[in-house]
Amino acid sequence: MDIVVLTKRVPVTQEEELKIAQDGSSVDLSRVPFRMNDWDNYAIEEAVRICERHGGAITGVSIGDMESDEVLRRAIAMGAKDGCLVETKGIIQDPFMRASLIKNFIEKEGISFNVIFGGVQAEDDQFGVTCGILAAMLKLPFSSMVIGIDEIQENHMILRRELEGGIQERIKIKTPCVLSIQSGINEPRYVSIMGIRKASKVERKYFKAEQYLEGGAGSLIDVTRWFYPPKKEGAVMLQGEMEDTCRQLLGILKEKGVLQ
Amino acid sequence: MSYTLIITEIRRGQFEERNLDLFGLSHLMDKPTYVLCPEGTYPINEKWADVIITTGLKEEEFLMPMNICKALEKVFERFNISDEIILTHSSSGTECASYISGYFALPVITDVNGINKDSNGFYKSYYSDKVYGEFVTTTPNTIVLTVRSGSFKDKVKEKSEAPKKEKIDAPLAEDERSFIEYVEEEKTEIDITKAEMLLSIGRGVGNKDEIPSYEELAGIMNATLSCSRPVVDKLWLPKARQVGQSGKTVRPKVYLAMGISGAFQHITGMKDSECIIAVNKDPEAPIFQYAHYGIVGDMNKIKDKLKELLKA
Repeated sequence: MDIVVLTKRVPVTQEEELKIAQDGSSVDLSRVPFRMNDWDNYAIEEAVRICERHGGAITGVSIGDMESDEVLRRAIAMGAKDGCLVETKGIIQDPFMRASLIKNFIEKEGISFNVIFGGVQAEDDQFGVTCGILAAMLKLPFSSMVIGIDEIQENHMILRRELEGGIQERIKIKTPCVLSIQSGINEPRYVSIMGIRKASKVERKYFKAEQYLEGGAGSLIDVTRWFYPPKKEGAVMLQGEMEDTCRQLLGILKEKGVLQ
Repeated sequence: MSYTLIITEIRRGQFEERNLDLFGLSHLMDKPTYVLCPEGTYPINEKWADVIITTGLKEEEFLMPMNICKALEKVFERFNISDEIILTHSSSGTECASYISGYFALPVITDVNGINKDSNGFYKSYYSDKVYGEFVTTTPNTIVLTVRSGSFKDKVKEKSEAPKKEKIDAPLAEDERSFIEYVEEEKTEIDITKAEMLLSIGRGVGNKDEIPSYEELAGIMNATLSCSRPVVDKLWLPKARQVGQSGKTVRPKVYLAMGISGAFQHITGMKDSECIIAVNKDPEAPIFQYAHYGIVGDMNKIKDKLKELLKA
């Protein structure tokens, strides 16, 4: 089973203070560390496990600037056969445009696949729709939030999708298809520095995004400004040395009657 | 004629509360609200709608990407295409929104939490909820939206005495994808929804070896240990301990969140707790916006100090 896995290099912003330009036109990410989108780790791991059992090869595909080569090296270190980077000038915010680019790239370059995997969403834009748009454009069946692949048959798969509140739905889906993989489906393997170094020796292929922009692959949405989320009342911050703040915390627990 | 179309989310016979936000957003748009539903009877206030369209699809067939697109084709044949197609920002809502966008070549914006009526802009969070972007469409086309729960529910109003009822017959794409069954999580002894106090840990714990130490702290405090999604994804705690949209919704007397930054999916599951106390090393962590009390600091050091004070 040949699998194309879509992967994206994203800024890690959980613990970063982000600066927005005065006029709201951009967010400064120059001091923020980047890495492979966490969901993509699970997608690649799942693909590798399937190929280990059923045979086949994995191609990693990334859309972004040349720095995105880093996530392809990681994908190869995890078990992908090769990687393709479709180089863009600047960030594409519109998931419809990203999906158009990927569709045109796959068709024009004749990339063969039985399934396409991606992560459920990217950590940076949290759109969560690129795989679904791509599936519809390729006229293929689609499932998002895949949390378990129970069976792989000649022309279909049985899998579980995660719903809300701890419920899943089991579905049957025809192949070829597009699946977006949910975190927690597996335990992604550890990738060592040595592994990445070895992967660097595997040739990656580079393409220019402009080649795949014909056929209405323009942006359907635009971001007009960035701003900070409106502040709510917010928490009362406990001040002082650690021992002091801890005593205050325990005081609150006693006041609320949960601690004797 | 211009109108907004709402695609309702019904699961296991329940009219999900998140649907209120779809009605709220639609009512802000000041045009007729059309509602697309699966077969069956649900506790929906019909006065919120101008037109209710049923599809003949069962709930598990209805919110399925290929089926919903076929149903929409029928709707648009009958009523022309709507200005907006609005869904919940949920597992199936977002899944369907993406496929609708690709199928009909329409712009899509997900997780919308506000609008700017003057610029026809939609607000969406980015970068771990640290910033919001305002998005507009570059074409006059219909737009597909998914809505963050809780964002518009207070805008819901009654619109009509008796909505018009319409029915379409939507074909099934069964050979492409079909529903087999719902799968429930295994029952466990510990039920975090029953706890008076939860000690909840997140990504910030950093390392599996720290978990027993939090179990010990929870024991001394008479609290139950729960967690956010990353801790379950790493298999450090079982799924039954997870608080959030894909886990459990909890309302304890005290929710002590340590090392949880406050992704929206987590907030959804704990925001109604009586008292929320957050410990995080990032003073800008979104969780401090929802907490009653906050401490900025290293959770593992604070945990050790709390244990020391409680043992003394």
